[in-house]
Amino acid sequence: MMKLLDISKKYGEITHKYPFEPYKVADNFRGKPAYIFDLCIGCAACGIACPSNAITVQFNNDQSKLIWEFDCGRCIFCGRCDEVCPTGAIKLSEEFELAVKFDKSALIQRGELDTQYCTTCNKPFSAKRLVKYSFECLSKANVSEKRLEEAKEYLCMCPTCKKTATVATFTSGKEMVIE
Amino acid sequence: MKCDKFIEALGTKVKILEVTRQCDDQVTALVELNDLPEAVRFLYYDMGGYLTTMIPNDERSINKHYALYYALSMEGGKMFEGDEIAQDEKCFVTIKTLISPDSLVFPSVTPLVPACVWYEREAYDMFGLVAEGLPDKRRLVLSDDWPDNLFPLRKDAMDYRYRPDMKEHYMEPEYEFLKPEGSGIIDVPLGPLHITADEPGHFRLFCDGDTIIDADYRLFYQHRGMEKLAENRMNYDQMGYLAERVCGICGYAHAIACIEAAEKAINLEIPARAQAIRIICSEIERLHSHLLNIGLACEVTGNYNAFMHIFRIREYSMKLAELVTGGRKTYGNVVMGGLRRDMTGVEIKESLRILQIIETQVDEVWDAVMDDKRQMSRWKGVGILDKQVARDFSPVGPNIRGSGIKRDTRYDHPYDFFTKLDFNVSVVEGGDVFAREMVRYMELKSSVSIIRQCFELMPQTAIIVDPKFHVKPENYALAYVEAPRGENVHWIMQGSAQKVFRWRCRAATYNNWPSLRFQFRGNNLADAALIVCSLDPCYSCTERVTVVDIKSKKSKILTNADLKNFARTQKDSPLKDLR
Repeated sequence: MMKLLDISKKYGEITHKYPFEPYKVADNFRGKPAYIFDLCIGCAACGIACPSNAITVQFNNDQSKLIWEFDCGRCIFCGRCDEVCPTGAIKLSEEFELAVKFDKSALIQRGELDTQYCTTCNKPFSAKRLVKYSFECLSKANVSEKRLEEAKEYLCMCPTCKKTATVATFTSGKEMVIE
Repeated sequence: MKCDKFIEALGTKVKILEVTRQCDDQVTALVELNDLPEAVRFLYYDMGGYLTTMIPNDERSINKHYALYYALSMEGGKMFEGDEIAQDEKCFVTIKTLISPDSLVFPSVTPLVPACVWYEREAYDMFGLVAEGLPDKRRLVLSDDWPDNLFPLRKDAMDYRYRPDMKEHYMEPEYEFLKPEGSGIIDVPLGPLHITADEPGHFRLFCDGDTIIDADYRLFYQHRGMEKLAENRMNYDQMGYLAERVCGICGYAHAIACIEAAEKAINLEIPARAQAIRIICSEIERLHSHLLNIGLACEVTGNYNAFMHIFRIREYSMKLAELVTGGRKTYGNVVMGGLRRDMTGVEIKESLRILQIIETQVDEVWDAVMDDKRQMSRWKGVGILDKQVARDFSPVGPNIRGSGIKRDTRYDHPYDFFTKLDFNVSVVEGGDVFAREMVRYMELKSSVSIIRQCFELMPQTAIIVDPKFHVKPENYALAYVEAPRGENVHWIMQGSAQKVFRWRCRAATYNNWPSLRFQFRGNNLADAALIVCSLDPCYSCTERVTVVDIKSKKSKILTNADLKNFARTQKDSPLKDLR
């Protein structure tokens, strides 16, 4: 019994003053994923990678916006979204104070991205930013001017129309030169 | 090859229809239904096996039958010195048998091997397979008001989202507890929540005065249907994360057991560095789990001071987990083929510093606890698990090692990096609470040394293999991991489209519960909470306890505070005005 008291004396006070002073977490701590809307291109890679379906990417009811939504209540902090994001729009932060008072909707974060409509059939199929991002990637990839112009057209088509258009070009007998 | 010896010996006793090999140390023998009890008994008692798990499976889509797999760990009886199988011959032998969907009946193994009792009760709950000759046919897993003809794990039974309507409280059927005969026995319900662990489990203690003469319990209040969920909607990428959530303490052990079962079924070797980090994380888990349990064993007997000190040290192990995995719990790290997250040199250096602190401080506090005569008198001679009972019921972890049986999966069936490490299995004779806590203390020391060795030997390889593997339908394998509470065993049969066909997850405590009844017998009511605590059960705080004296028909409701106080001080028995 006395030995325990000696140990108490030896180590003294060990409690932190938290929450009155900040609690320092380790480097590389896996906290709440932080979302930077300006970098998000709406590619949905995070939504596919998320094992607990905390991140969803889908069109809203009238399909005017592509909604990126993150439900922190479902998040398991595995960091797979962080790994797959091509633009670094989602990164694990050091934030761990996640409790909300009664209002569970406070755990939900969303980003609304403008929809890209298909230039041919006018169907919504992607986000404007994703098309822009793809084009920028191509511009940096040492592609000729003419091909780039073509790409601009194709990028704004939905997958079905793109397929039809490609088939049409191939079967029309028009000669194509790949430069 | 490994296992052949056992199959040969089994062949002389019963007719073996087919032998299949899953991996190096796992073999399945198909036997006829009527030979099942004899085959399991022969391997269990005559050849020195322990029951690892039993898996009922709905294979009607494969071979038009239900199947049962009794997985036995062949390691020797270990009842006396030398009663052990040579290290390189230890393996798993699975006895498989097929049951026709028309009869749904199989001969019970329990009368011959008592360890099977829970598994066979569960087989009825989940699949409607009736064990003929099973002495105890009550429900085990599902709630008492579950519809009679709905067996959830049958493939055609129900959608995984379906929830049957609950019955009104007054309509709920009564659960029949096994009662000892005789007069003057007092019925003490302990639960719905347990005192130390704050998790649900209902214990019925039958007392004569303050002495417990028998006990029965009803658990599984938190059955979440994970197996059904995984079969229906999860892919392998998600399953590891689901398996982690089986337990709040040994989650990492579940995650690697689950993922390794899937890896073993396709013989996928993971990189050495991933193996080492997996071991480090599971040992960190052992550190914090054992510190938690030793702390609680002090707290429940009223030694608050020691409890606080042990929790102070436990904080370092949480810090260690934060450093290694990026979260205070070691979660979200395991994926099929390796790991998600590597360690840096800086992290290793800092970890070694924290390990040093844990090692010295644990010694200090343990020394002080051992010096405390009052604490020792509460631990010694309480809740004895007899060696023979242990042999019959196949318990695992510190529970069996405290009874002097050298059973440790890390030693018997070294997995991952353990083949390269050097460590001692902690075995203590006695079988009481003290022996179990002693085992935990010794394991704390060995865990520190294992983690240190892993850091020293840390291989410089990648942490994940190139994910170019294909799962093959109908392949199955066992994976076993020594979690803090004992071995966690996962069994996976792979299905098509990157999904599992059947996932059987057996947590360590599942094997420890059936023998608890024997541990209760003859002990004081005040020690009941301590005994359950020393098992380190994976499951909770006694809200209140109703005591009924059968003789005088008097009853009394004890509050949580009453019983807690009695457990701590052993004074002022709350039952005295009933006598």
